[in-house]
Amino acid sequence: MNRKRKQRLIIVLGVLAAVGLSTALITFALRENINLFFTPSEIAEGKAPIERRIRVGGLVVPGSVKRGDDLQVTFDLTDNAEQITVRYAGILPDLFREGQGIIANGKLISGTLVEADEVLAKHDENYVPPEVQEALEKAGHPKKVPQ
Amino acid sequence: MFEYLKRLYHKFGSPRYFYDLTGKMLPWLVALSVLLLIPGLIYGLGFAPPEKYQGNSYRVIYIHVPAASIAMAGYVMMAVAGVIVLVWRMKMAEMVAKSVAPIGASFAFICLVTGSIWGKPTWGTWWVWDARLTSMLILLFLYLGVMALNAAIENAQSAARATAVLSIVGAVNLPIIKYSVEWWNTLHQPASIRMTSSAIDPEMLYTLLTCIAGFYCLFGALVILSTRCEILSREQRSSWVKKLVGVS
Amino acid sequence: MADSIVSEKVVVEEVPSLWAGMLAVMKRDLLIAFRQRTDMVNPLFFFVMVIALFPLGIGPEPSTLQKIGPGVIWIAALLSTLLSVDSLFRQDFDDGSLELALLSPQPLFVLAFGKMLAHWLVTAVPLILVAPVLCVMLFMDGDTIMVTLYSLLLGTPVLSMISAIGAALTVGLRKGGVLIAVIALPLYIPVLIFGTSAVEAASLTLPYAGQLAYLGAFLILTLTFAPFAIGTALRISVTSQ
Repeated sequence: MNRKRKQRLIIVLGVLAAVGLSTALITFALRENINLFFTPSEIAEGKAPIERRIRVGGLVVPGSVKRGDDLQVTFDLTDNAEQITVRYAGILPDLFREGQGIIANGKLISGTLVEADEVLAKHDENYVPPEVQEALEKAGHPKKVPQ
Repeated sequence: MFEYLKRLYHKFGSPRYFYDLTGKMLPWLVALSVLLLIPGLIYGLGFAPPEKYQGNSYRVIYIHVPAASIAMAGYVMMAVAGVIVLVWRMKMAEMVAKSVAPIGASFAFICLVTGSIWGKPTWGTWWVWDARLTSMLILLFLYLGVMALNAAIENAQSAARATAVLSIVGAVNLPIIKYSVEWWNTLHQPASIRMTSSAIDPEMLYTLLTCIAGFYCLFGALVILSTRCEILSREQRSSWVKKLVGVS
Repeated sequence: MADSIVSEKVVVEEVPSLWAGMLAVMKRDLLIAFRQRTDMVNPLFFFVMVIALFPLGIGPEPSTLQKIGPGVIWIAALLSTLLSVDSLFRQDFDDGSLELALLSPQPLFVLAFGKMLAHWLVTAVPLILVAPVLCVMLFMDGDTIMVTLYSLLLGTPVLSMISAIGAALTVGLRKGGVLIAVIALPLYIPVLIFGTSAVEAASLTLPYAGQLAYLGAFLILTLTFAPFAIGTALRISVTSQ
């Protein structure tokens, strides 16, 4: 093979190898739960790490919101399959209400109790965060969010 | 058919033919954009039904969404023109690419400003590092880089080739940047907000489509106008331009 | 006598392989760099001083510094890379050796690759070696420091290559400096996002492998395609004069 063709072959093989390798890396990265989002079912099944900061999303269970003194509040989150409890000390967002889809960031203390340091609700009632949406669908829940 | 298209493509590569043809096209294009934009914008900004949760403040999407679409399409157009410049060395492509840059940048800027205006009543602040606005800001920076490079190099052909390389690199990076910013947004601002309710009202949809079409026609007209100026400037020593301008 | 003429062999010189060409360019650049040691040291001093400025400007509370630490380290590395890249091609351009390089039998991307590698070894590796000390000053713990090093190791070559594209595009211009920044900074953003995110995740004891994988993917793709862009840009810049 003459030099030019050999060079071209090397270049083409190099590019193919690079694209293949980076695709593999990206596939790996996509599968990694780098957002560390868990549904109540996954937490109930024990899939979430204890004592590590995680994100939890679900719908607020009606009637589960209990306020203590000093801005302490506990409420339950569900994905209509399992339920977990979230404990939060702080001001809840304006749009927080029962049946609303919310995301809590915090630590999983034990079993099904999450100590949240951040609670976020959405501005648009029809908007369900994509992760929660997927989780709801997985748990057999249809697309519409119950009002 | 294919032969005809090939011939048309090569014809468009001639500055003189491009100038003549666009001279005939331009009035129609301007008329079309006016015809689409005026009713579209008046209806959208004035008469379309108010949105369920945002009231009247959502109306800016009739400008914001077309501007965003054009800003992104413009960059892709610049990159495609760049490929033509590097591979086929077509002078017309150089001129078109140079014209698109400031116009696309202006639309990106309009998108950011209207996004801000929309943000104030909705989020309460003039600026928020939402994934879309941040990506659009970076797109504006990419445009500015292209414009700055074009301005810095004196030789028109080298400037065109250098900006072609830059546009292509930028275009390849654009999806990566968008993905990174969206991902960054989920980490730092999970409460990302949708612009309208998930089921868009048909009245709003048609108005929006009219506005988008109208703005695209406007964009086309502006690019053609700018390219024609560029043609006259670069071809000023050729006989047909001299005759046109009236210099003997 | 006729025999000696006929039996003379004609010697054809072997054109060096791609690899040999790259090594030659790299060795030359390393030699030049070591002879001008100030060029090596300036980016390093800049890196250290920029990071030192942040506590002075923002306040020395550990909690604040821990929060902004990943971003500070990465932005300082980014700016140092930007600063050092202007001289990458300028000297060769000024003395004409860049023009000569265009005539070499090696394709231009070999030259680009070799120069890039030398540049990274000379400017970024000292940064990476010094980074742990600065991380300690920003109150990062051991694991976080390791992840910072990994992320810098994966990310700085990408930053170098992107700024090299900018340098190659502007090497013919007299005042190329700020223009390189305008060109390169938007393209830095994905690396910045995933680099800081990896370090941040490590500091919160969250998984960071995904972010590092993205950085790795960027590295491989940039290593593959940037040399072509740099080569094209160099050719354009040099032949436009």
